Amino acid sequence: MSGESREVVLELRDLEVAFKVKGGGTFKAVKGVNFCIYKGETFGLVGESGSGKTSIGRAIVRINDASSGSILYKGRRIDGRIPKELDLEVVRKIQMIFQDPMASLNERAKVDYIVSEGLYNIGVKRSEEERRELVAKALLEVGLLPEFASRFPHEFSGGQRQRIGIARALIMEPELIVADEPISALDVSIRAQVLNLLSSIQKAKGLTYLFIAHDLSVVRFITDRIAVISKGRIVELAETEELFRHPLHPYTRALISAIPQPDPLAERRKVVKVYDPACHDYSVEGPAWSDVGGGHFVLANSKELEAYREGLAAGRL
Amino acid sequence: MAKGDAILEAKDIVIKFNLRGRTLTAIRGAGLRLNEGETLAIVGESGSGKSVLTKSFIGMLDQNGWVDSGEAVFEGRNLAAIKDEKDWLAIRGKKISMVFQDPMTALNPLLTVGAQIKEVFELHHGLSGKQADHAVVEMLERVGIDNPSERRKQYPHEFSGGMRQRVVIAIAVACKPRILICDEPTTALDVTIQAQILDLIKALQRDLAFTTVYITHDLGVVANVADKVAVMYAGQIVETGSAEEVFYDSRHPYTWALLSSLPQLGVKGQPLYSISGTPPNLFNTVVGDAFAPRNPKALKVDFAAQPPMFQVSPTHSAATWLLDPRAPAMEPPPAILAMRAKLGGAKLGGAKLGDAAKNGGAL
Amino acid sequence: MIRGAMMREPLAAGSESAEAIAAKVDASLFVPADFDANAAERGGYSDYSYWRSTMRGFLKNRVALGFLLLLGALLLFTFVQPLLPGQKSPTHIHIDPATGMQYRNVAPGAEFWFGTNTIGQDLWARIWGGTRTSLMLGLLVGVAEMLIGITFGAIWGYVRRLDGVITEIYNVINNIPTTIVLMLLAYILRPSFKTMVIAMCATGWLGLARFVRNQIVIIRDREYNLASRCLGTPSRRIIVKNLLPYLVSVIMLQTALSIPGTIGWEVFLTYIGLGLPVSIPSLGNLVNEGRQIMMSPELRYQLLFPTIILSLITISFYVLGNAFSDASDPRNHV
Repeated sequence: MSGESREVVLELRDLEVAFKVKGGGTFKAVKGVNFCIYKGETFGLVGESGSGKTSIGRAIVRINDASSGSILYKGRRIDGRIPKELDLEVVRKIQMIFQDPMASLNERAKVDYIVSEGLYNIGVKRSEEERRELVAKALLEVGLLPEFASRFPHEFSGGQRQRIGIARALIMEPELIVADEPISALDVSIRAQVLNLLSSIQKAKGLTYLFIAHDLSVVRFITDRIAVISKGRIVELAETEELFRHPLHPYTRALISAIPQPDPLAERRKVVKVYDPACHDYSVEGPAWSDVGGGHFVLANSKELEAYREGLAAGRL
Repeated sequence: MAKGDAILEAKDIVIKFNLRGRTLTAIRGAGLRLNEGETLAIVGESGSGKSVLTKSFIGMLDQNGWVDSGEAVFEGRNLAAIKDEKDWLAIRGKKISMVFQDPMTALNPLLTVGAQIKEVFELHHGLSGKQADHAVVEMLERVGIDNPSERRKQYPHEFSGGMRQRVVIAIAVACKPRILICDEPTTALDVTIQAQILDLIKALQRDLAFTTVYITHDLGVVANVADKVAVMYAGQIVETGSAEEVFYDSRHPYTWALLSSLPQLGVKGQPLYSISGTPPNLFNTVVGDAFAPRNPKALKVDFAAQPPMFQVSPTHSAATWLLDPRAPAMEPPPAILAMRAKLGGAKLGGAKLGDAAKNGGAL
Repeated sequence: MIRGAMMREPLAAGSESAEAIAAKVDASLFVPADFDANAAERGGYSDYSYWRSTMRGFLKNRVALGFLLLLGALLLFTFVQPLLPGQKSPTHIHIDPATGMQYRNVAPGAEFWFGTNTIGQDLWARIWGGTRTSLMLGLLVGVAEMLIGITFGAIWGYVRRLDGVITEIYNVINNIPTTIVLMLLAYILRPSFKTMVIAMCATGWLGLARFVRNQIVIIRDREYNLASRCLGTPSRRIIVKNLLPYLVSVIMLQTALSIPGTIGWEVFLTYIGLGLPVSIPSLGNLVNEGRQIMMSPELRYQLLFPTIILSLITISFYVLGNAFSDASDPRNHV
């Protein structure tokens, strides 16, 4: 739609992330990924385990190196070697929320240190008092009491720990937050808290999220646009409701059909589609990243693309 | 035994653990009734005791835990009173088997898949040699593994996560158990695989006629598989009933909270219903309704006395004071009302909440 | 709609009817209670602190506490002993004024509490002097090895670029037998306390460094370390704040065990003739002297006394190391 008028915060161009495999050779976890994230939106990246979604998130926060392609933050390249000031800026502006709140906090440090850890690294001199005020403010923002600062992570429940993780990212005043499965390790009763918190901070601060998840029902609830990734390639990208209404790629359709519903009657009627990669005939022409219109992209060759367009027009898809 | 007869009946089970000199009461008086051939799903968050309760049925409590009181009758025998490991061997893996969350830890990485299934046939059915091999191949085929005569010679690491779970299921049902307990059987798997595994368990249940208990936190899984649902919180069963009753006509505030906090039932752009706080510390004695401190609409009585199980229908009961006739009428959260509407509220939950309790029989 | 509706039995069974239980409850309680969201948030605060729990766990271990006191008393006494009245010098050769001969091999008695050695030195004084020397040597080398081992091990494990280089250096040094290194150093430098410390440190840190490196490789990619990297925390602070605190328990165990090990090495080096000069009493020297005459039963006390002290020290450090390691392991904290 009006994609051009919106400010692009992050852009991935032909991103490839490869890992060395024992005994030589490399394994490409991410292959030729292209997408951009607009300011203020929540962009969902959905895939099953081993699809490469986490590698993309980690490449953006520069824990993993991009083996080819590029990552641009507001038009400036941030992968590979970058100047010191840009590095400092990227550390501040792109932050990450991790999956497992039990593993992502340093058990031996107090909440005070954990939350303010980033402040020590961005080269701004602050008095001890200012720092403490910032910690208290960050804790309040995530619904925790400032008095928790003197405690150890051990004290807290999963949901509270995840909020500490969010506070630690927020204190940097980021613009883009990469949230890697931020609720999948939490108990069901706690998930809503964290989802609500993420939404309300986004509204208050105009944040942009890259929301990485495997659970389509959660992603549907929170995101504006979704990219579906399978085996390191993005197979489909569309606005959230568009994707759910008109899923084109057979993999997306299989994924959507399998979403568990807390509704016994619907579950008993459910027919799960199985995705068989052999359903594509790419012997003559390989698949390309193509626009079917309205910002709906799909990985397909020209024959498939035609079928998708026809199906859409006829209201079959 | 006919379908519908009780196969396992547990009453007032109390399970305690000793942790460094302190006693934790993990199960605070839980009871359930499992009927022949049905599928019961026990739902709860971590720490609610859902795993502990079922582990006590197969004598797999950790060393520092014990059944303090209560009874669990299976085939005329009180499982809660069994102390001897030898007695358990006649039940565990033979009459009651279990499928765990992580298939990798349940399998021996050093033995071929076939050898591990064969062991069960040798041990429980006295088969050997060619006969046992034949049974292994048949079993692998049954759980949906292609080319079973070749694949049985492979090791667990050569299987994908979903295939491994199939092998674990094969081992669990090879002894033709009467009850199969599945502890989060699909949590570690991708959604598309998850659906296949659930279908497999259902198909096996139909063919082999066993009774299934699911332990899960995933209400989607529950909706898919369960005939009956038991909701656990802080070591007690707070609501139980048929899947329809619990999903479309829930009565306990905890069940309400659990259901309405699901994003599937939320309205996009609006905050989800959320539960503040954490479950109580079970090292301490819990007074009243364990959920009351987290329930913004709790009554004073919730803090004073523990609610009994009020009967809503012959199959449906919930432990909440809201079902007492004296309780003020309480409007459930919107998501719950929407669920009620799905089934035509008149049929199940049309009357005022309190009315149902008056009709309820003795517990 | 409801399956299994034919059953009258409820799923859960209690012994008393709901009405009977409900009848006991006062009707006035059926009103909304006050709700404090913060109270729900506060949850089960238990005032946990890692170090306090470690101390508590350690102090609970009576046996370890006993050995700690024993070790402390031993160390303290080695310093106090020379200041006590009526103490003899550990190196002075006592001569019988009547005969002008040395008091050789005098059995333990009122004059010489632990007897004298083959050249007439007071064994009581020598044992305490020797214990002091050996304990100081053990502690000094232990601390030095710990500092060097941790520093190298941490850099080796965390800085991926240096992994290859340090591994090669390690392989080279580690493949030269320790005995040869010690012998060479003992020949090049004159035998003295300082030489001994340097010689032992030269190779002793390798084991700990390798150990620390392996531990760090295991934990360096845990999510909390990735989080610190995202926050731009420099490697040095990640090592000090995130990694080493997790290794306290295992490092302390290694170090505690290395102390009696060092004392043992000293005994061995003295045995092969590369130890401290005879003029400095040490447990190594004493055991070595005692060993030479252990075949005559009446002189065995000369071997027995230093061995008892040596054993006490070894057992103490062993028990202490294990106790501290257990206490500082968070899995043992409730």
